[in-house]
Amino acid sequence: MRLLRAPDRAARENAGAPHGATEPAAGASSEYALSVRGLSTVYETGEATVHAVRDVSFDLRATERLGIVGESGSGKSALALSILGLIEAPGRVLDGEIVLGGRDIARLSDRQLGAIRGKQIALVLQDPSTALDPVKTIGAQIVEAIAVHEPQLRRAAARKRAADLLREVDISHAEQRLDDYPHQYSGGMRQRVAIAIAIANNPSVLIADEPTTALDVTTQAQVLALLDRLVDEHRTAVILITHNLGIVSDFCDSVAVMYAGRLVETSGVEHIFLAPTHPYSEALLKCVPNPERLTEGPLPAITGFPPDLSSLPTGCSFAPRCPIGRDLAECHERTPQPHRVSGPAGEAVVECHFAERRIREVKV
Amino acid sequence: MARVIGLRLLGSIGAVLGATILAFVIMRLLPGNPARLILGPLATQHAVNSLSQQIGLGRPIYVQYWRYISDFFQGNWGYSYSDGETVKKLIVERAPATIELALFSFVLAMLSAVALALLATYSHRPITDRIVRGASYIGFGTPPFFLALLLLIFFFKTFHLLPGPEGRLGVQAIPPPEVTGLYTVDALLAGQLHTFWEAVEHLILPSLALGISSWSFLVRLLRANLLEVSREPFITVARGKGLRRWTAFRRHALPNAFLPTLTAGGLVLGEFLAGSVLIERVFNWPGVGSLVFEAIIKQDYAIVQTFILLSAVLFVLVNLIVDLLYAVIDPRVRIPSVATA
Repeated sequence: MRLLRAPDRAARENAGAPHGATEPAAGASSEYALSVRGLSTVYETGEATVHAVRDVSFDLRATERLGIVGESGSGKSALALSILGLIEAPGRVLDGEIVLGGRDIARLSDRQLGAIRGKQIALVLQDPSTALDPVKTIGAQIVEAIAVHEPQLRRAAARKRAADLLREVDISHAEQRLDDYPHQYSGGMRQRVAIAIAIANNPSVLIADEPTTALDVTTQAQVLALLDRLVDEHRTAVILITHNLGIVSDFCDSVAVMYAGRLVETSGVEHIFLAPTHPYSEALLKCVPNPERLTEGPLPAITGFPPDLSSLPTGCSFAPRCPIGRDLAECHERTPQPHRVSGPAGEAVVECHFAERRIREVKV
Repeated sequence: MARVIGLRLLGSIGAVLGATILAFVIMRLLPGNPARLILGPLATQHAVNSLSQQIGLGRPIYVQYWRYISDFFQGNWGYSYSDGETVKKLIVERAPATIELALFSFVLAMLSAVALALLATYSHRPITDRIVRGASYIGFGTPPFFLALLLLIFFFKTFHLLPGPEGRLGVQAIPPPEVTGLYTVDALLAGQLHTFWEAVEHLILPSLALGISSWSFLVRLLRANLLEVSREPFITVARGKGLRRWTAFRRHALPNAFLPTLTAGGLVLGEFLAGSVLIERVFNWPGVGSLVFEAIIKQDYAIVQTFILLSAVLFVLVNLIVDLLYAVIDPRVRIPSVATA
């Protein structure tokens, strides 16, 4: 499933370098489409505080495609909502900077954010069957996305743009289908509509939260190919949240591995497949089915469970499951700082005490 | 769509038939002569014999049943022995008072339920939510006639804020010229603002007493629906478009949360129209409920029997209308989904 045309990929190759937490945010305004620093989000219920996003930092260049990978409950979706300022009570963004197009949007009001959401940064969600309002027509929902940022636009003009958008996402008879309701569309078509809504105002950043997970395999490939073409044409930077490493290798330039609310390894996409440095990244990779490894017996699983985000262990949160650090006092006592390492497939920022040692051991 | 309407219609007809059969069987099962029951203890044997003939006693049971329902649907509801009037005339006279009370109470319950459900869910304030839920529990648990007495003691006897149990208007007031029979509407049509206000004042306490338990039900239902819908991804998508929180809520959460409430609203309105007997009694409200109460005391069977059937038909009718309305409003019912791969 090679989706990318070779030249596109080469053109973006430069964007693939990691931008770790240690790098200062200064100068981010011109260079990056999006720059996140020290973002932390908690959910406070009566009894417990769930640390869904913990001190997350990363940069996203214009047109870069960053994949965020992790297990369910690792905080991927909370990270997406935090960036958009859409965390609802009892959740709350504790701290952090979110610099979008040179402007910190982390502390803007709902009204100020309204002018940015959908215009500069847009969202595609996982399940197309619940992402559209069942009692409003497709046309009304696309027009709404356009009209909220251009209130002076005439109805007919907005409708024409909505039809154009439907055509852009390969829906035939676009004019007539504007008047249909979501339940008259198939799952794949609904996801196309969701993508049309997201790109309606040509945003510079698109956050796609598991955009293909709810679709069947053939539809997945089509939707991903569509997304690939559109973000190329619109020159949109993408944050693709997924648990599917195959999609990352096909679609993304860079990748961040998320574990227990933190980005434990950030790098270009080649690095993670050639020289996964964090033990968790390595374990994650081993869980991907691969026909060449059939002889090695059944697929390995990562032992243990992800930690409870409301009572995190001290030290490295992966330590209890880690084949290296499980029995080491250091891993259980000290939280690993980001280490910048350079491996055979480029640089990476890794939150592991053994990052340097492990990268030296990589056999090429 | 046609299929949906057809099924609903069939169901409604079935429900009405069920109600008539029940009422019919109960009357035949009661000891004594049904004609005597209908005509009351004071009727002459001659009158009883003549009615027995008319309702077909002694004929096969299905003939009797057929006479019974055809009389009912033709509006031949018989005579009130205690009043000497036709039952039809008595009920038609009293209906506007009951309808006005039911509608007023319904609007009040609906609006306040929506407002409170919004208050409890829109902004995350657990304390407000708890108060609203607590209030709805109390509303559920309090018998309406008891609440009616409490309201009277508090608002009328102690603080003189609202009029007491004197019916639809003050003792000396003159009703507005009759157009619809609803005093509030007629007063407005005649431009009598003072009478309008007096009619509203008289409506408040009975409406509260009548509506409280249904209000509790509506609040809880709406609150649950709003909570559920506001967590739907399409709300997040709407906000992701750049809609402000309230706009997304109003355009997308409210309509979706209201759809199930529509059905509940139909049930509640039907209940109000049929079930205000005790409340009307407490407030001396000159509606159908009071008529029925008096009829029960006087064992005026013709009135009671008609009332039972009429409430059943009305209840079914209101819910039929709601169901059809639902089909018009909800595109998922109106338009079949296209099976696409």
